[in-house]
Amino acid sequence: MKILDHLEEWIITFLIAAATLIIFAAVVHRYAASNITLPVIQDWLLTINLSWAQELTIIMFVWMAKFGAAYGVRTGIHVGVDVLINRMTGHTRAKFIVFGLLAGATFTGVVATLGAHFVWENGAHYAYLHGLGLPLGDVPEGPTTPDLEWPTWMVYSAIPLGSSLMCFRFLQVAVAFIRTGELPHHDHGHVDGIEEEELPPPDLNPFEMDDNLHAHDLKFHHRHPRKVGADDTVEGDKP
Amino acid sequence: MNALIIFTLLTCLMLTGMPVSISLGLTVLSFLFLFTQVPLESVALKLFTGIEKFEIMAIPFFILAGNFLTHGGVARRMIRFASSIVGHWYGGLGLSGVLACALFAAISGSSPATVVAIGSILLPAMVKAGFPRSFGAGVITTSGALGILIPPSIVMVMYSVATNTSVGALFMAGVVPGIGLAIVLGGVTYYRARKFDYPRLPKASFGERLKAFRESAWGLLLIVIVMGGIYSGMFTPTEAAAMSAVYAFFVAVFVYKDLGFKDVPRVLLNSANMSAMLLYIITNAVLFSFIMTNENIPQALADWMLGHGLGVITFLLACNIILLLAGNFMEPSSIVLIFAPILFPVAIKLGIDPVHFGIIMVVNMEVGMCHPPVGLNLYVASGITKMGITELTVAVWPWLLSMLGYLVLVTYWPGLSIWFPKWLGIM
Repeated sequence: MKILDHLEEWIITFLIAAATLIIFAAVVHRYAASNITLPVIQDWLLTINLSWAQELTIIMFVWMAKFGAAYGVRTGIHVGVDVLINRMTGHTRAKFIVFGLLAGATFTGVVATLGAHFVWENGAHYAYLHGLGLPLGDVPEGPTTPDLEWPTWMVYSAIPLGSSLMCFRFLQVAVAFIRTGELPHHDHGHVDGIEEEELPPPDLNPFEMDDNLHAHDLKFHHRHPRKVGADDTVEGDKP
Repeated sequence: MNALIIFTLLTCLMLTGMPVSISLGLTVLSFLFLFTQVPLESVALKLFTGIEKFEIMAIPFFILAGNFLTHGGVARRMIRFASSIVGHWYGGLGLSGVLACALFAAISGSSPATVVAIGSILLPAMVKAGFPRSFGAGVITTSGALGILIPPSIVMVMYSVATNTSVGALFMAGVVPGIGLAIVLGGVTYYRARKFDYPRLPKASFGERLKAFRESAWGLLLIVIVMGGIYSGMFTPTEAAAMSAVYAFFVAVFVYKDLGFKDVPRVLLNSANMSAMLLYIITNAVLFSFIMTNENIPQALADWMLGHGLGVITFLLACNIILLLAGNFMEPSSIVLIFAPILFPVAIKLGIDPVHFGIIMVVNMEVGMCHPPVGLNLYVASGITKMGITELTVAVWPWLLSMLGYLVLVTYWPGLSIWFPKWLGIM
């Protein structure tokens, strides 16, 4: 489980970094190739073709978005409308929270199934049969992407894989919530970097503040004891 | 009828507190499954193709750039530069806050990020200098909203995704209204500071100003890269965003050295987390707008409006009210992605300029960010100042009221937004 957690983090960290660098390189290359007039270097630059960069970036970002969305369930970042349910008492709210999490699991589960079906019909079936050397029949080979000429089923498998992971995360969060009454939250109590009080910590995330965009779990008032009732306490209403 | 079913379903699902993205997706799935013959497989493909646009990729890049800058010393040097220029006037540090927010907004695409960057440095300094806490919080919470009006802006990218309007034109259109709003907020700051006789800073000499300018030049150069690059056609907005992310990384790690190499993965992961959340809303909102179009809802709304002889003025008023109300429940990205596809076709039919309409929506979102119950800026400011939300709301109202007035101006004076891009010739 720990490995899966880290793998997820590594994948999305790598994808966002790599995509940024690729676009940066493509832009630099475009200007270098047309402006550097030193014969050898320009010739060399012109031989490099980076037209695939845009397509690769898009693919990387879609993969990042799908796996990042799953990671987001684990970190509790997905924003919702909670003006109504945060006014409910603990018990009723808990029911709604579980309903919401299960709805998330249902949606991502359905999408994962639909996506898997789509991927299978668009080349994965062919690749499977081809890979095992089985008779192909009339199974189509499936299209490829325009620039990189990768089979689209590989690219599109981000949907079934990402959605399944997300479905799993929703169920995981739901089980944890039923057991402990806690939802994933960012604990601002001990973010590191707080000692140099001038700068915000590098991973401060505006969407993870205790705003009215995320449902309060059952332990919310234990973490924010002075917020019970009125939230107009003057000082130190955060631990 | 179908419109009623769709919206009831969406509202009910959203009110249960599940993520906005999930409620959008579930609405689409259940509507398609229960009431139409559209094959569900098309949904799966849309989930991929929905964000398969190069323009959308500007969002993660701008978030990444913003996160490098938020932590970096860029904000601190911008504040020093701003206070060397306007610090000696009434409201000294407060005015510097407005100017610093405007400058930071020109390199960051998000409002809460602007509040964090400027507020976490300036607010403690203001309290130390003898300003009441509520004054500082009011200035920064509202000025931080400039983040999405002054380009670059993530909300504008969202709008352009939802309506196919040019990002470049929207960015340029945000410049003049952004400067205008900064002047209005600065005016309120000046007036209140003068009325209550708040402290002023000693006037900085020319040499000090030059020094402050030189120190903040690395940050200010980013404005030139992004705006100049897009305007001159050197970069597309997405490329400009990627360039600014790399540049921000370079400045934060190598020039100002506020960030060590060991912090970089955390910044990356955090940015990926935030962008993935927004991209997930976009994917599902694309699905949602697909069924809206499929059911001809925007068209029906437009016909109804025209049939009842409702003109531009009424329509814009209605838009503002709807958007302000929505601002009570949702954050800006979701609002723009849900409402823009519905309202935009009507606006076009009524002859409203697409870019102007976008600016109206953005200013609307700014107002929504500064008032409860949902106001990202408020919550960020509350985190920094340790003030309660109710207290902050009271602190914010003079600026918020002037912002509402400004919204009316932006709404009914198209020239304010579209003059500049027209003059530049990119519209």
